Amino acid sequence: MIEAVLTGAVRGGTSIVFAGVGETIAERSGVTNLGTEGSMLCGALTAYAVGIETGSPWLGAIAGIAAGAILALLHAALVLWRGANQVATGLAITFLGIGATSLFGQDYVSQGVEPFTPWAIPGLSDIPLLGSVLFDHDPLTYLSFTIAPLAWWFLFRSATGLKIRAAGERPIVLSSMGIDHRPVRWLAVAIGGGLAGLGGAQLSTAFARTWSENMVAGRGFIAVALVIFAAWNPLLIVLGAYLFSGAVAFELELQARGTDVSIFLLDAIPYVVVLAVLALMSRRRTHAAPESLASVFDAAA
Amino acid sequence: MTTPSLTSTRSRSSRARLRTALVPLAALSLFAAACGDDAEEETTATEAAGSDATTAPDATEAAGGDTTAAPAGDSTACGVGVTKVGVIYVGSKDDFGYNQAAYEAAQAMGEAAGVEVINAENVPETVEDAVPVMEDMISQGATVIFATSYGHFQPAVEIAAAHPDVCVVHQGQFESSLEAPLDNLGTYFSSVFEPVYLAGIAAGSVSETGTLGYVYAFPIPQTLENINAFALGAQSVNPDATVIAVATANWCDPAKQAQAAQTLLDQGADVLTQHQDCTKTVIEAAEAAGVYSVGYHYDASSLAPEGWLTGSEWAWTDLYTDIVETAVAGEFVSSPYNGDYRFGYRDVAAPFVAFKPSVFGPAVSAETQTAITAAYDAFFADADGDGVGDFSVFTGPLADRDGTVRIEDGVSPDYTALDGFFSEPWFVAGVEGSLG
Amino acid sequence: MTVLRRIAERPSVRTLGSVVAALVVFAALLVAKGADPISGYRAMWDSITRDSGAFGDVVVRTSPYLLAALAVVVPARAGLFNIGGEGQLVIGAVTAFAAAEVLDQHAPRAITLVVMAIAAMLGGAAWAALAAALREWTGTNEIISTLLLNYLATLLLGWLVFGRWKDPTSTGFPRTRSLTDAERLPIIWGRVHVGVIVALVAAVVVWLVINRTAWGFKLGVLGGNVEAARRAGFRTGALATSALLAGGALAGLGGMLQSSGVEGQLRPGIMVGYGFTGILAAWMVRQHPLKAILSSFVLAAVAVGGNGLKIREGLSAASVNILMALMLLAVLGWGGARRSAASR
Repeated sequence: MIEAVLTGAVRGGTSIVFAGVGETIAERSGVTNLGTEGSMLCGALTAYAVGIETGSPWLGAIAGIAAGAILALLHAALVLWRGANQVATGLAITFLGIGATSLFGQDYVSQGVEPFTPWAIPGLSDIPLLGSVLFDHDPLTYLSFTIAPLAWWFLFRSATGLKIRAAGERPIVLSSMGIDHRPVRWLAVAIGGGLAGLGGAQLSTAFARTWSENMVAGRGFIAVALVIFAAWNPLLIVLGAYLFSGAVAFELELQARGTDVSIFLLDAIPYVVVLAVLALMSRRRTHAAPESLASVFDAAA
Repeated sequence: MTTPSLTSTRSRSSRARLRTALVPLAALSLFAAACGDDAEEETTATEAAGSDATTAPDATEAAGGDTTAAPAGDSTACGVGVTKVGVIYVGSKDDFGYNQAAYEAAQAMGEAAGVEVINAENVPETVEDAVPVMEDMISQGATVIFATSYGHFQPAVEIAAAHPDVCVVHQGQFESSLEAPLDNLGTYFSSVFEPVYLAGIAAGSVSETGTLGYVYAFPIPQTLENINAFALGAQSVNPDATVIAVATANWCDPAKQAQAAQTLLDQGADVLTQHQDCTKTVIEAAEAAGVYSVGYHYDASSLAPEGWLTGSEWAWTDLYTDIVETAVAGEFVSSPYNGDYRFGYRDVAAPFVAFKPSVFGPAVSAETQTAITAAYDAFFADADGDGVGDFSVFTGPLADRDGTVRIEDGVSPDYTALDGFFSEPWFVAGVEGSLG
Repeated sequence: MTVLRRIAERPSVRTLGSVVAALVVFAALLVAKGADPISGYRAMWDSITRDSGAFGDVVVRTSPYLLAALAVVVPARAGLFNIGGEGQLVIGAVTAFAAAEVLDQHAPRAITLVVMAIAAMLGGAAWAALAAALREWTGTNEIISTLLLNYLATLLLGWLVFGRWKDPTSTGFPRTRSLTDAERLPIIWGRVHVGVIVALVAAVVVWLVINRTAWGFKLGVLGGNVEAARRAGFRTGALATSALLAGGALAGLGGMLQSSGVEGQLRPGIMVGYGFTGILAAWMVRQHPLKAILSSFVLAAVAVGGNGLKIREGLSAASVNILMALMLLAVLGWGGARRSAASR
């Protein structure tokens, strides 16, 4: 059971890892993007469509990154250039993503795509427990193992990361150094959208291997919620994403073992877990918030 | 796939229709008002749109093959002289599943009956959404409406009440659940569990682990009949076969399906099947894992060239066509379609059925194919000549997995009654997993 | 363009311009899809104007959008963002049905409906109270908590409809019993029910309360500057909570109007996205409760017009989400005075 839940956590959580890490980078620069859901949808469809047209899931994934980033850039334009409210804009961006992928995705529903296939790592995949949990996955999942440490290094060890964090904490510091904080934010938002797009690509071309309308089904919103849970630390996002999809796997595992609890209550487990953990940790977490974000969360009007 | 381009002859009589609609509406509310205080009987009142119940003449009941109290000057029965038929679907016409099967049958019906088909995909299961869509179709001249998803029932009832001249048929629910049946409304469905039983034989024959996985959506009678039939079919060739069933609480959430498929594979299932509207994900998950798959709703054998066994698929064309032709002839009200029409293989004299087993995949041996064909023929065998096939999947005594007898000895529910036996969910012995 | 912009100094004109711009961009996307935008818009128009009933469809649809919008407006006044309208609508429908069950058809129609409406408002407020409590006691951001609570509300509805409220005659797919006549809102005309008027009244009441009462004034202070509110001696926590609860109550009422006025029973999935569309409606008019009537109506017309794309053009009806989103984005970015630097 433990093995099944852990494996399910990794398989189901990969798309959320990408999106959550991306959103962490964006929020570190001071921009919240509820359009993450929309970016995931655009990434999912674009990767799927390009995968079909070119026969290469890799080209699809790259296109998915681009699509997610483009949608996020629209968010950046509204928020950074036009000064629009971040939360409202993000929601509108998600609506746009749902609508655009419905319109353009109609011809691709259930079409045959060359999917990413699992690469079992010889030797390692035979290790009991760890083998199936960690070493028998599609390439994008392996990539997701590296994305959080990379993002951590990028944010906390690279010069650009330093600028991103400064833009999120004290834009004035950047100004005093003669650096405009806005291009930095544009970059961070674009990276965030790109990673969300990659998460969507993993969903459609590696995990579910199909396209259907609105197939992201809220995973992008979950990713945004997890950023607070993770206290804006990309390493902890991984934990949160696996916790969420591990709860889904756990629920299915309970079903397979014949529990008679209503599926609707079982289905609530992942959301309750995220909400509960968030509530338990929020007091501490809020202090970790990038300072510029505070203005987002406090001023809706 | 072509979509109808419509420079439509718009109906100008909608105002008149609104007025005439009040008659049955008000009559219905009379029924509702008469319903008293007994909580037991409060299950109905299908339509209470008309608030003023007292002024209505009782107009809904008409004698047998006769006609309804139709608006003056109009034709006397619904759908007469149909030239356009509206069909609404809850999902995408390309889902390799339920909606694609219905969509393709509807287009074939259009060809066969010589009518124009107006389609609407992805219609949410609300009155708020579905009623305007069907109204729109009627305003374009549709006089027969097919509402093809469970949740479209309530909207379909409202449309039927508002448009006595339009035949409305619903796929899945029961008109008899209404307090006051309407002359222009009917429901139909088909006992698709029969080919599912046959597919169970194939699954039970090839499985090495004896564990079969079932990804389903909701614990509803149709689904429970399928899962139980699948298990009974498998157990008819392998008494130790078990079925593990897990639900996704959604007709089409591919990522959840992928996760459910993984759960079943981890449990040792070496055949996966499903009751989902969109079927690609589970079938490809099985193929990728190197196990067998059984299709549902639609022929998806192209998705699994190695592991495909067989499946059950809808074949609605003949039924849709017959419904439309019945309406064209003005005979809807006296036909079985004005009611709860349920049918299957055991209706041995029926000219058509609405489903069929899918093609066999390479893994199904000739021997197994012969066995399945024999089981198929058994449905049609009618030794006593009563017009009902002698073999039934659900024949008493049949107990649930806890040993409680659910279908008594000697009882063999007919197609219409069967759903009632599953309104409380139960599984036969050998089915593990959640009952929701 | 510059000339145009000079003329269009009034926000209302700018909003109109935003709508037009959205229509143009949507047309471009239809071209990109290979569809004819002229016939696309024609199809939408035909669906909205097909007959007098279509106008009724739009009016009926305005009501859930408007109440969901008002559920955003009141908390926004206090600087809070309620994304939980969807779930609060569902819970409102659920508690209204529960009230009907308790009354068990023993009360006259007027009393039944009033009790159901009150129950719906209490239910919606209670659901919002979960988010308010988490915010007060644990500092959980209400944007995230109300969002997550939407999923839980939908699952709760499914649990009830598949469980204790399942109508025994609904053998195909579960639903609750149908609401009786006394539990249904009276019909004014066609499918237009009394709830539409209730929604309009609610908008006026919200406007009055926000602009004419001490409570409304305090919310405004809180939303403008928390520190100022604190110095003025306001109990800021209680104020914020009350605003969120009021929002939940409004959405809850919307849920009752929808189930009692339109759907006639409970089924899983009877509120498909109204709460989210309500957020768009509120932001299109910068949380002005009276203008939200107009924005809700426009979005309802777009949604009904989507049927035309679906039926007449064979396009996905969800593509009208593009149009809704573009309208809001245009308003947010170009529709009025630019936002303060705080949000940049």
